[in-house]
Amino acid sequence: MIMMEYDHDAIIIGGGPAGATVARLLAREGKDVLVVDKRKEIGVPVRCGEAIGVTDVQKEGIGLPRWVYSTEVRGAKLIAPNGKSITWVNESTKGWILERKVFDKWLCELAVEKGATVKTYTRAIGLTKDDKGRISGVKLSHGGRDPFDVSAPLIISAEGMESMMARAMGFKTVHSLYDVDTCYEYEMKPYDHDNLIELYFGNSIAPRGYVWIFPKNEKKANVGIGIGANLTTSEKQSGIKGADPKRYLDSYIAGNPRLKDASTLLDFGGVISVGAPIDGFTKDNCMVVGTAAKQVDPIHGGGISLAIECGYFAANAALKAFEKKDFSKSMLYENYEKPWRSKVGKGLTSRLLLRKVMEKLSDDDLDHIFNTLKDDDLPKVMDGDFAPVVAKLLAKRPQLMGVLSALMPGGR
Amino acid sequence: MITIKHDGCIFCVGCSSVCPVNAIEAVGTRMEHFPERCIDCGLCVKACPANVIRLYKGVKSAKDLPPDADRTGNAQR
Repeated sequence: MIMMEYDHDAIIIGGGPAGATVARLLAREGKDVLVVDKRKEIGVPVRCGEAIGVTDVQKEGIGLPRWVYSTEVRGAKLIAPNGKSITWVNESTKGWILERKVFDKWLCELAVEKGATVKTYTRAIGLTKDDKGRISGVKLSHGGRDPFDVSAPLIISAEGMESMMARAMGFKTVHSLYDVDTCYEYEMKPYDHDNLIELYFGNSIAPRGYVWIFPKNEKKANVGIGIGANLTTSEKQSGIKGADPKRYLDSYIAGNPRLKDASTLLDFGGVISVGAPIDGFTKDNCMVVGTAAKQVDPIHGGGISLAIECGYFAANAALKAFEKKDFSKSMLYENYEKPWRSKVGKGLTSRLLLRKVMEKLSDDDLDHIFNTLKDDDLPKVMDGDFAPVVAKLLAKRPQLMGVLSALMPGGR
Repeated sequence: MITIKHDGCIFCVGCSSVCPVNAIEAVGTRMEHFPERCIDCGLCVKACPANVIRLYKGVKSAKDLPPDADRTGNAQR
């Protein structure tokens, strides 16, 4: 068999945390990797709350240089509609609030240092196929100029929420409104914080979601809101009923004496996935990684650490594929998707269940839960060990059975 | 078709992530709409966190938009 001559070993579409991680790991093993990002600048615009946990980073074995994060975080404080709070601070809750635009660029630089090539303002506008009909490359355009083709035996979509090329590869990456939160966020100053992530719950504050305040350096904070995009709580353009996160956020800020007079330094926002990962991450010659594969925590919508972690699985599968010169779906599945689902996917499934239960709770239920739970119950819940906590809640409020039964062993 | 008011768009690509027919795409530094693909479902209007998308049901091309429609966001065709 005559092997086709390719321009690169792998082409990665998207230079976010997932794409940059795969690129670094492949380049480190001597592979010729091209990363294309359609944005003019890696990491811009920022579309997220920028938090990353200490365990996430340690697991990846990469040390964060001081200049990629804004501040350290000690833990989290969850606040009920009635104002009662649970503080969750221990060794595992330490983390950082990143400067995403610096962090993303740094991850790309690490890949470049290992030998990867990164091209900004370069948009993938289509896929190319070889004479057997297999996907064998990408059609690119730099800053809207004349398109050109580049080829590789392996094409990886790390495109994030938009995932246009993943769709062209045949992956079902379109998001349903029920499984996304629509978010708006300000960077604000001054805000006196305790280096804790603050999360405010309540159906009048943030229906099917919460307001977050992430501490940043120099008395700054990211103040944001995420609410269910399927909600029909306000009149949007054209008279369509829809969720309007900015309106909720502005009204929350107006009612918070510590924020109402603060300045805004940045407006940002986005739509985050809070559903299940897509059904398949692999096809012949193609993989989808990170948020493009909806690998996002359904509770808090965080995707940075999952993207980095996924990068390790995907790179491992790619290296095995290069070794065997076999880029078939089954080869990639065995070494990427299958181990990912058993090691990471399982945890996300139980957290999706928790999200679906939480969104059914009334403010009164939430108050009851916060009144009952102790600070040390929270780690169990977040690890998916629901039974002891559910038992405690039901003892005082049996009428919650209908909602919480899904979390019990043998539940739905 | 829809219009996207660029003055107010935060370029989050939320609209394109929920569009079932790939009718909105980030091109260069802004969101572009491809009216010929649009099925007037309004999902992007609901998802948009900045509330800058307006739906014009039944309108198939930018030249048929009413005079008061925002024209900064339509694909140039």
